[in-house]
Amino acid sequence: MMPERAKALALPIALLLVAEIWTRALHVQSDSLAPPSAVAAALIEALSDGSMLVATRDTLASAFAGLLASSAIGLALGITLGMFQIIDRLMEVTIETIRPIPSIALLPIALIALGFGYRMEIAIVTFACVWPILILSRAAVRGIEPRLLEVSRALRLSLGDQVRKIIIPASLPRIFVAFRLSAGIALIVAVSVEIAINPIGLGAAIMTAQQALRPDLMLAYLLWIGVIGYALNRGLVIAQQRLFGRAALVGEAS
Amino acid sequence: MNRCLAGLAAIAVVLLSGGAQAQKIQIGCTPTSDCVSAMAAIDEGIFKKHGLDAEMVLIGINSNIPAAILSNSIQIGGPTSTVFLQAVDGGLDLVAIAGASKMSPTSNAAISAFVRKGVTINEPKDFVGKKVGAPGLGAFLHVLFVKWLVEKGVDPKSVNFVEVTFPTMTDIIKSGGVDVVLTSEPTVTRMLDAGLGTVATRYAADLGRTEPIIFYAASRDWAEKNPEIIKKFRLAIAEGAAVVNADREKASVSISKFAKQPIELVRATTPNQSDPVLKSEQLAWWIDIMSSQKMLQSKLDLDKLILK
Repeated sequence: MMPERAKALALPIALLLVAEIWTRALHVQSDSLAPPSAVAAALIEALSDGSMLVATRDTLASAFAGLLASSAIGLALGITLGMFQIIDRLMEVTIETIRPIPSIALLPIALIALGFGYRMEIAIVTFACVWPILILSRAAVRGIEPRLLEVSRALRLSLGDQVRKIIIPASLPRIFVAFRLSAGIALIVAVSVEIAINPIGLGAAIMTAQQALRPDLMLAYLLWIGVIGYALNRGLVIAQQRLFGRAALVGEAS
Repeated sequence: MNRCLAGLAAIAVVLLSGGAQAQKIQIGCTPTSDCVSAMAAIDEGIFKKHGLDAEMVLIGINSNIPAAILSNSIQIGGPTSTVFLQAVDGGLDLVAIAGASKMSPTSNAAISAFVRKGVTINEPKDFVGKKVGAPGLGAFLHVLFVKWLVEKGVDPKSVNFVEVTFPTMTDIIKSGGVDVVLTSEPTVTRMLDAGLGTVATRYAADLGRTEPIIFYAASRDWAEKNPEIIKKFRLAIAEGAAVVNADREKASVSISKFAKQPIELVRATTPNQSDPVLKSEQLAWWIDIMSSQKMLQSKLDLDKLILK
């Protein structure tokens, strides 16, 4: 009997075979499409000459740095707004005015202010990722069992201790879901910034391959980004299950 | 005492070696043949000979170059004439410092309006109502085509212009997404070979101009603070231009290396002619046609556009 995982692979493999036969049989001449075998060869070539690994390093460095910065800012703001409703009400208009601005729309300003390179990309990724972390951590803090907060008050814990001993541990599973969500956004935004403007990383490599009329290499980079995205999500799901066990399900449900 | 002397000697060595170090500059260009004089000046060690440590930065979209210069990500960039003039018109304090490429009979002959199979264009008025893909609205090829239409008595407003990037032109023409694309080599030959249509007009050859396509520009502030670098840069570019105009193979190798394009693809296209000299009257022609197309809002001072 076929293992479940092998069954899941059957459809993508069949589609790849159809694409290979179709492009070869019809002699498809395109600057945007390439046979899967040519894409695989380009992927191996770019991995072995190191160019794809350097581009991956640049993209992931920016994405992770932006993710860390947005986590710190988003958590601090989310916990504060979740704990103090008056600050939440005061900040509501400001946050709801800035939040809908598409991060990519900030590119022209970011380019003049920060120039090409990591700084600009990190700033844009931070802006994009801070909102889901802020909103979800605020909701997580608000969703804490009231009795826990009563206990903290009965114990006369200081504000710092309340946050450290009660609020963060109780809302951590949901905060981790926000982190996972933002990790996906960080990768998407980092690649988008590189495609649009920043001459480093995987996005810039896609553009260069396209302009060099190398659809095989361009599609190889796209495939590689998919692999990285999948690996990132799988890694975070495993971390979530290992760290929080059954509590991780609370986050999934929210 | 000996320690003091040794310390002074060490400081002197550091200062002297610092003084002898090449001055670092970054030059940003799009992956075309226009900045080949700078590419060759790096590959042939010409910049180094003049005491400059130059590095080329690949920029995907030409209109990003002015902002990249102002952010000091690059000190010198290769904007097209239209991008440069629109940036200055918009208030960015940029200045042209040397010529890169100019229109020539060879480069003009490569520029075409390519019409897809099934669409007939026999004369300029046949473009009326057609969907025409340009690599950028307000970009070099688009502005030239509009000028050509006006000269032929066709109202450009009667033509439906859309943006189509170079790498997607072949597929969009094949799918019938547009009727015509404004393009250049090697795309024209590739589309002709694939039987996707015909050349409707070689409009740049009709215009027969010799004005600059791309030139090197910097921020006025940086250029005025670094006259020595500008002087060395101009000397190196003049030498680089002489090399690439005389030796097409060297030019092709440098373009292939910088643009990361297969050497066969680069060899199939004649590089644009390099011309290090830039004169204000050459920019006057661009200002005239851009003003007539309402692309410029202010009156630009020709004397200030090129660094003395």
